[in-house]
Amino acid sequence: MGTLHNRPTQTDLKAKSPAELARLIEAVAARQDREAFASLFDHFAPRIKAFLMRTNLPAAGAEELAQEALLTVWRKAPQFDRDRAGASSWIFTIARNLRIDSARREQRGKVLDLEASEDFEPPVPPDAEVMATERDTRVRAALEHLTVEQLRVVRLSFFEGKAHGDIATELELPLGTVKSRIRLAMNRLRDLLGDLT
Amino acid sequence: MSRHHPKNETLAEFAAGTLDEGRSLVVAAHMAMCGACRGVVAAFEAVGGQMLCEIEPVAMSDGAAARALAALDDESPRAAQAKPAVRPVWQSEQQTLLGYDLGPWRWVAPGLHYRAVKTPDVAGTRVFMLKAVPGLKIPQHNHTGTELTCVLQGAFIHEGGRYGPGDCDDADQDDSHNPVIDEGQVCVCLVAMQGDIRMTGVIGRMIQPFIRL
Repeated sequence: MGTLHNRPTQTDLKAKSPAELARLIEAVAARQDREAFASLFDHFAPRIKAFLMRTNLPAAGAEELAQEALLTVWRKAPQFDRDRAGASSWIFTIARNLRIDSARREQRGKVLDLEASEDFEPPVPPDAEVMATERDTRVRAALEHLTVEQLRVVRLSFFEGKAHGDIATELELPLGTVKSRIRLAMNRLRDLLGDLT
Repeated sequence: MSRHHPKNETLAEFAAGTLDEGRSLVVAAHMAMCGACRGVVAAFEAVGGQMLCEIEPVAMSDGAAARALAALDDESPRAAQAKPAVRPVWQSEQQTLLGYDLGPWRWVAPGLHYRAVKTPDVAGTRVFMLKAVPGLKIPQHNHTGTELTCVLQGAFIHEGGRYGPGDCDDADQDDSHNPVIDEGQVCVCLVAMQGDIRMTGVIGRMIQPFIRL
């Protein structure tokens, strides 16, 4: 696709398919397969590090959390269910949760692990289950329908947590334009994702 | 099944992990009662997964993989836990909500009680619960920030419609509402509020000190 980030990379050439990645996680779950873990590490750790650095974590902190994320993948592998979430989505949520925990720990010396809390059940999958593979297919198709500019504002706004004003500065666009692009992109995305439940 | 949902943007920020803690708590309370929004959030998480796939990787330092493999010796994969069905996030006797401590109910005005939800006030978001008797008119107010509300019990009605259990009112500074508590049950709401609020009327001036406005 190459629309999210403009430069194609060498790594893309050896990118693994979603099914392959899911099999690797299942191998870790089934028989604590260290070779499968090493493959997952090679694929995901540098991506998680990159993702975390985009959210303004310094490289050293991003690397440490990427390590922690992969160890969490090892521990939680038995909970992975390819019908509920694709490998990348599942690992994205692990990295996201670690980042939230680490930010909150920094802010107030208290860890909130929503998933560990007694009262909280992690969001159960949608009631009428859309299989994860179908969801991922729809998501990929939806993203392809967005313009490059819409994708950039979605990524900056939601995944990098940038304020609208900062996005306007970064993209050298008026604030109003940024806001309307985000709104258009979100509505388009929601329409394209269709009825997910 | 709820009919009023958080805005797409709010769900996207929740899925991306960039929503502040207080509002995330309200979204989590809504999601526990809304299968549709669980589906939307799962889709936004898949967007995150897709972005993770396509990101330009940044090389890990030398020996990082070896250190991770060495660390595995102290770890073992945990068995999958049985996933319980969704259960109500809140019952009247509870002292915690999704892991947060709740302050005592405090009298605010006739028919209206307030209780703090002890989240850290880091992003300028205050989280509290309101309990109001049927027929009560909540004082009219305007805000300079956002106000995200999830109904836990009972219902209120305003210009946007009727909001029952699980319904979410995702209001910004352009919304000025005049809610009335619906007949029937006592209404309990979870509210995350950002920015300042300007209360009008007698009850408004009474509630003001309690919510540290």
